[in-house]
Amino acid sequence: MTNVAEATPVSGKNQPSARPSIGGLIAQTEIDLRLFGMLLALALILLTFNILSGGKFFAPTNMVTLAVQATGVAIIATGMVLVIVSRNIDLSVGSLVGLIAMTYALLMTDWMPNVLGMSTDFPFRWVIALALGVGLGAAVGALQGFIIAYIGVPSFIVTLGGLLSIRGVVWYLSSGAAVSGLDPNFQLIGGGAQGSLGGTLTWIIGIVACVPIIALLIQGRRRRRRYGFPVRPVWAEAVLGVIGCAAAIGLAAFANANLWPRGLAARYAAENGITVPAGGLKIATGFPYPIMALIAVTLVMTWMATRRRFGRYVYAYGGNPDAAELGGINTRWTILKTYVLMGVLCALAAAIAAARLNGATLDVGQGYELYVIAAAVVGGTSFAGGIGTIPGAVLGAFVMQSLAYGLSFMGVNSPGQNVVAGIVLIFAVGLDTLNRRRGS
Amino acid sequence: MSIRKLAVLTAIAAVTLAACSSASPSASASGSAAGSAAAACTVGVSWNNYQQPRWAAHDQPNIKKTVEDGGGTYIDADANLSDEQQLTDVDTLISKGATVLILLAQNQTSILPAVAKAKDAGIPVIAYDRLIEDPSVMYITFNNVGVGEAEAKAILDKVPTGNYVLIKGDPGDPNASTFLPQGWDNAGLKDKVTSGDITLLNGPDGTPTEAWKTEKAQANMEAIIDKAVADGKTIDAILAENDSTALGVVGALTAKSYGFPPLSGQDGDPANLNNVALGKQYVDVWKNANELGKTAGAAALALCQGTALADVTLPDGLIDPTVAPTAGLKATDFQTPGGKTVSSFILQPTPLTADNLDVAIAGGQISKADLCKGVDATSPTAPAACK
Repeated sequence: MTNVAEATPVSGKNQPSARPSIGGLIAQTEIDLRLFGMLLALALILLTFNILSGGKFFAPTNMVTLAVQATGVAIIATGMVLVIVSRNIDLSVGSLVGLIAMTYALLMTDWMPNVLGMSTDFPFRWVIALALGVGLGAAVGALQGFIIAYIGVPSFIVTLGGLLSIRGVVWYLSSGAAVSGLDPNFQLIGGGAQGSLGGTLTWIIGIVACVPIIALLIQGRRRRRRYGFPVRPVWAEAVLGVIGCAAAIGLAAFANANLWPRGLAARYAAENGITVPAGGLKIATGFPYPIMALIAVTLVMTWMATRRRFGRYVYAYGGNPDAAELGGINTRWTILKTYVLMGVLCALAAAIAAARLNGATLDVGQGYELYVIAAAVVGGTSFAGGIGTIPGAVLGAFVMQSLAYGLSFMGVNSPGQNVVAGIVLIFAVGLDTLNRRRGS
Repeated sequence: MSIRKLAVLTAIAAVTLAACSSASPSASASGSAAGSAAAACTVGVSWNNYQQPRWAAHDQPNIKKTVEDGGGTYIDADANLSDEQQLTDVDTLISKGATVLILLAQNQTSILPAVAKAKDAGIPVIAYDRLIEDPSVMYITFNNVGVGEAEAKAILDKVPTGNYVLIKGDPGDPNASTFLPQGWDNAGLKDKVTSGDITLLNGPDGTPTEAWKTEKAQANMEAIIDKAVADGKTIDAILAENDSTALGVVGALTAKSYGFPPLSGQDGDPANLNNVALGKQYVDVWKNANELGKTAGAAALALCQGTALADVTLPDGLIDPTVAPTAGLKATDFQTPGGKTVSSFILQPTPLTADNLDVAIAGGQISKADLCKGVDATSPTAPAACK
């Protein structure tokens, strides 16, 4: 990441000539080494499980399950990055997810039909429920953010209070009982065979995703030339373009290799009068909706963090709060906004959790705060403030979930999973600390 | 418990009594049933936590009705989760003239001074739903090992051979690790595994679920389904220990569009009973607390008339025959974990399947609207209770 700043701006010229080493070649592509390392670690974990399971692990179905299981934590982790970067913490996310999930369930089973007069055939019930949930998340986030930023109570205390009291409200709302039976459209948010894009749309998205990748590379190169920054060698640009496109199309192909479960396909065929060919009806599942939601959240959050004033302010404040304050940044308003954002992300994660369960129980979201913080930290977010990336946190969530799911797949139960997760957390942060020390 | 502490407690109790002579939440008018043999009977009930909906909805009305129908008087007090308050409550109940006590102990050890006091006063005691280790106390509860047995029996009858998945509860809870699995084995699970009729897909001990969490059970079950599909095996039946884990299993089966193999659970939670009606869960083992209340009421009346503990017999037709103790309507001996022998009534849990869901409606466990939510009443496969 640092080579851009260190290099002397030389108009239109290539970077200093390549050192004849792999490290030098990689440096020329300007790939974020930390992200690259995490991708490698993730690949290594998946590969290990694949070998241990005799080649059964690396099947599309399993990878899709793993990814869908990671979405909730990953979505919240994108917001936790900004909260930790600005030297705060949010311990209330798990309880907030529980509260909003219970709100969705009660809205659709009780309040909508009995209080608001929206029976089951009312149009766009799921959109209305989602909007109310997002609104509730933003409101709770704003309240906590206000107490932290404007009254000055430490975020650890405020959100610890939130963790306890919000869970208590969930208990009160549900009287401890499970509530189930959501709107069928809302259930699709949770994924599954029918809650996915399907084969054609997945192909289209995979191919269309190539366009912005290449456009961004070309635009970036032009801008650098215009402002007189060094540009990457052409071969590096080409490699990045090819890798980006191949990844997008490859993921689409992989997701489409995940077929509808046989029973469901047979039922579908019977209902629609399709004759089942020998070997079964093959319907591609494609990208599940929760994964699409995660991709959208990651893109929007990255854009906000790196291209918007709000994001710049968050990093500036995290790097040096006094300097940011003196520099004229409205730091309180910025901090409050990070918590509002957190509430909105919790509402999205709660929608996925509730949709997957087709309801809510008292314990939905319990313990999320710890997994979310672990994902952000494994993804390179520093508690010292000012450092952390959103794609890193998403990858961190995937690393943690791939361990949990892989061990579960191998028949290792919760105690074993927790031991491994804890060790990986310390190991990842330890490695990072050593790396940073050597770099400085 | 030292003598001094006991003395202090008694003093507190006396003061409390003097200060407010109507501590009981629902003391009923006494002396209305003169003439009956049980006229002198005052049944005092000490609840540990009346806030929990179950007691108010099922246990209390049935105890009260049975006692009053038999000509007795019902009084009660709520300790609101405090051991000390419960000792005071028992004193209050005795002073108010209780001639027999029904105790739902907050703590089975710290209740012992109250039991000793009742003994001194010559008042018989019934331990309700929670054991008190004392041979002079009658024990009325459900057969907790029988719950596991009922779960496994229902599933084994439905799927006698094939691939089973075992979903257990929190590993720190003896119900999850010992009693329920013991019930499964009593129903024949272990023998069928040994003989090879049944293959366990997720290891001989199954998969435990931290804190009985629904989300955790769902994530575990998804991995189990993926593994089974990868191994080319079908899941024929799933034994889940309770309803919160069964709910997670249904979530996983739905997410994977796997279909719904026969699945067990217990507690009679409304969401799960709805799943039984929808065909997503095969059996939900339910403890019918109404019948437990009736049993306690009848036993209290009998003890009040001076019947010896071991000779207490329930009147014919009082409780549902499917719930009645397998040993019959006369009190039987029960070996406590502490090695004592107590007289007891151990009631049978009720396995609810799509065929007998009307029992849950009749017992006030769930409304028909909640039970049949999403069920197409016109469909030929709809359960009778929803038609």
